[in-house]
Amino acid sequence: MRRQIPAIAGSLALGFLAAFPLVYGAADYDYIMHLWITAFFYAILASSWALLAGYAGQFSFGHMAFMALGAYTTGLFNNYFYLTSAATGTCFEIPFGSWYFVVLDPIGISATPFSCLDAAREAWAGNVVVKKPSLWFGILFGILVGGLFGWLIGRLVLRLRAAYLALFTLGFSEILRSVLSAELNITRGQAGLELDPLFPNGITIFGAVFDATDKLPTYYVMFALFLACIAIMLALERSRFGLFVRSLREDEDAAAALGVHTVRYKVLVFVVTSMIAAAAGAVQAHYIGIITPNILIILQMALVVAMAVVGGLESIIAAAVGAMVLYFLLEFLRNSFTIGDVTVDMTTWRLVFFGALVMLTLRFQRNGLLYPLIESCTRSGVAEETVAKRVAGASASEDAEAAK
Amino acid sequence: MEFPLIFWSVVLWMIAWGVIGGVVTPRVFLRKDMDISNAPLAGAFVGAASGPLGLIPLWHFAPQTTNRWVLLSAVGTVLILVTAFAVADPDNVCVTNGDLVASQITNGLVMGTIYGLMAMGLTLIFSILRVVNFAHGEFYMIGGMMVYYVSAVWLPGTPPVVAVLAACAITFVIGGLFERIFLTPMYDGRVERPIEYAVLVTFGLAFFLQYFVQALAGASPVKARRFFDFPIIRLPSAEDPWLIKTSKANLTLFDTVSISNPRFTAAVIAILVLLVLLFFLYRTWYGKALRAVSQDRQAAAVTGIDPHRMNMLAFALGGMLAGLSGAVLVQAFSWVPQVGMLPALRSFVIVVLGGLGSLPGAFVGGLIVGLVEAAGTGCIPDPQRAASYIPAYGMIILTLTLLLKPTGLFGRKE
Repeated sequence: MRRQIPAIAGSLALGFLAAFPLVYGAADYDYIMHLWITAFFYAILASSWALLAGYAGQFSFGHMAFMALGAYTTGLFNNYFYLTSAATGTCFEIPFGSWYFVVLDPIGISATPFSCLDAAREAWAGNVVVKKPSLWFGILFGILVGGLFGWLIGRLVLRLRAAYLALFTLGFSEILRSVLSAELNITRGQAGLELDPLFPNGITIFGAVFDATDKLPTYYVMFALFLACIAIMLALERSRFGLFVRSLREDEDAAAALGVHTVRYKVLVFVVTSMIAAAAGAVQAHYIGIITPNILIILQMALVVAMAVVGGLESIIAAAVGAMVLYFLLEFLRNSFTIGDVTVDMTTWRLVFFGALVMLTLRFQRNGLLYPLIESCTRSGVAEETVAKRVAGASASEDAEAAK
Repeated sequence: MEFPLIFWSVVLWMIAWGVIGGVVTPRVFLRKDMDISNAPLAGAFVGAASGPLGLIPLWHFAPQTTNRWVLLSAVGTVLILVTAFAVADPDNVCVTNGDLVASQITNGLVMGTIYGLMAMGLTLIFSILRVVNFAHGEFYMIGGMMVYYVSAVWLPGTPPVVAVLAACAITFVIGGLFERIFLTPMYDGRVERPIEYAVLVTFGLAFFLQYFVQALAGASPVKARRFFDFPIIRLPSAEDPWLIKTSKANLTLFDTVSISNPRFTAAVIAILVLLVLLFFLYRTWYGKALRAVSQDRQAAAVTGIDPHRMNMLAFALGGMLAGLSGAVLVQAFSWVPQVGMLPALRSFVIVVLGGLGSLPGAFVGGLIVGLVEAAGTGCIPDPQRAASYIPAYGMIILTLTLLLKPTGLFGRKE
């Protein structure tokens, strides 16, 4: 019975999450929905980082870089690519059936950017159809670019272990951040790149109409992405892939000697986790609507690490749940309070608390705070069963002896 | 840039041949059954410097790649890059203005010395504990904050020496305590993967310290006063001080090179600390014990050195060195709780470049990184873009080092 607890709790939680936006009706609906969407985002990142670091032992601090790659790819796609029904004559364009595929010039950082397309629009006086390609293509591209860079980084770090790997990936993340903030003619740097909402024209689900700023459709998109990522990772974990990847962590040389293609699996785990991070980043970017290079500051990476560590590095589910719990804690600890005449600024102190929590968790409860709970349920009675089986086996063989 | 095509085609050409050299050379050497530890580095540099002209003889004769070879081809590579830059951009300030180049180089060396000091703390910790301290930048930040608070807030008018000593003391104590509380389980196998554990727990420490200081001190920038004013010196004569000319906050040499007072002070202190550190490591019992542990932990234990105590000492000392470099730099830069981030990344670059665990490597690496950054910030045409790319210069060095010679310039083979 006890062994079923995690499964039961899990399905109850999923049911709750699936029904939540329909049932919940308090005044802070939008705020709570926002929290859930962001919590899913962090849960995807933390669990994929757990797969990379906890399962494969690749302690990469560049996870947010892949997230940012996804976000910026879809952001640039969303801002630079247009389809028009006539040639602009001013932009770079490729004829495409009866359409023209237009790529804008760098948009620069002015508050009211004027592109070559705007110039053409003035000349056309409104009788040419201009539309953006579906942003889902952008998200798809984001995922692919994330995977491509994951492959590249995976290839480059093959020989690096532990501290070197952490330094290298941190370096990659910092290079990406400097590029994104330096090339501001293209990325708009700290001014921020604006993106369309996920459903720019609204959406109708079962007759209910939602406009672009409603949170419910985004909630379900993020929830579905979360479920899909968790499902993919769990399927991988339970396959040979999971075993091989864990063997990399335990002893790479021994694994290679036993016939595990270590190079392939190391690169593969980078590709998979980067694609997942990029997917989360791309969807979240459209949800937030604006991205800056600050999405990959170390604080963000530190938060994801903290979530995975506190949840449990060696379990995808524990990391995901840990991320949600920690994210909600972070939000609810935001309120500053006053004791006597001392005001405690919780916006900073909560982060102090998190730093301490990470260190103490690592020191005294290395498997995280949630994972042992799940483990103790799923493995309860295993020891007794094994003993019972052994006893049964022993008596069976004794019987066999006696029968001789 | 006037002829960007020239510059970028030279760069592309060098990268292409560098990659070919770096990838093919080890295979050629391996086939000839030779030592390949230096081969990627030598191949990449020879390829970048001379293209097929150098690579084909290198593959044909396959000489032992000594350090002199590598150094020569590295210098060649840098020279070609500089020439290409000068040809492509003849109006650039770095090409037309020799004075600027001289002062950039001096500036690079001055900053490089300070970087070296900071990186030494990191490399000291690594050489004893085999741990990269990801909270190194936070020790640096705390050192600077301590000096500011002691000398400007708590006890205004304290001599700077006292403030610096206070900074040393607090970072030493934090380092020692952290090591005792959090790193001891690594030593006796209670942690399955000690290196990864250390990476995570020092990362957690960085997070904790950064926001702890921010919670206490606030996030607005602070800046300490400079430690002392230069005496007014005019040499050889007051009318024509072409040799040396000082004002309170500045020092001008030969009418061209100008060093600001805070940086000068910081560099002088850095050099003094380096000398003291070398004396400590080579002439005192504790220093010798530290080096013994870094060379062979078991043998050191046999001779009666307690490696666990040396671990604590090394971590505390390493943290103190970072704190000290922060303490001497707080008068030169404005200080916020996040200030440690860039110097920490830079220190990582330096220690990897110099070889993790090597003290001379940290110093030389510091100078190289200082020079590269000075060249990068001084010569790249668009100053704002150049400033945004500061972290990237170091990271490019880091990436190249890890790819070509992961043991670094002076690193030992693991």
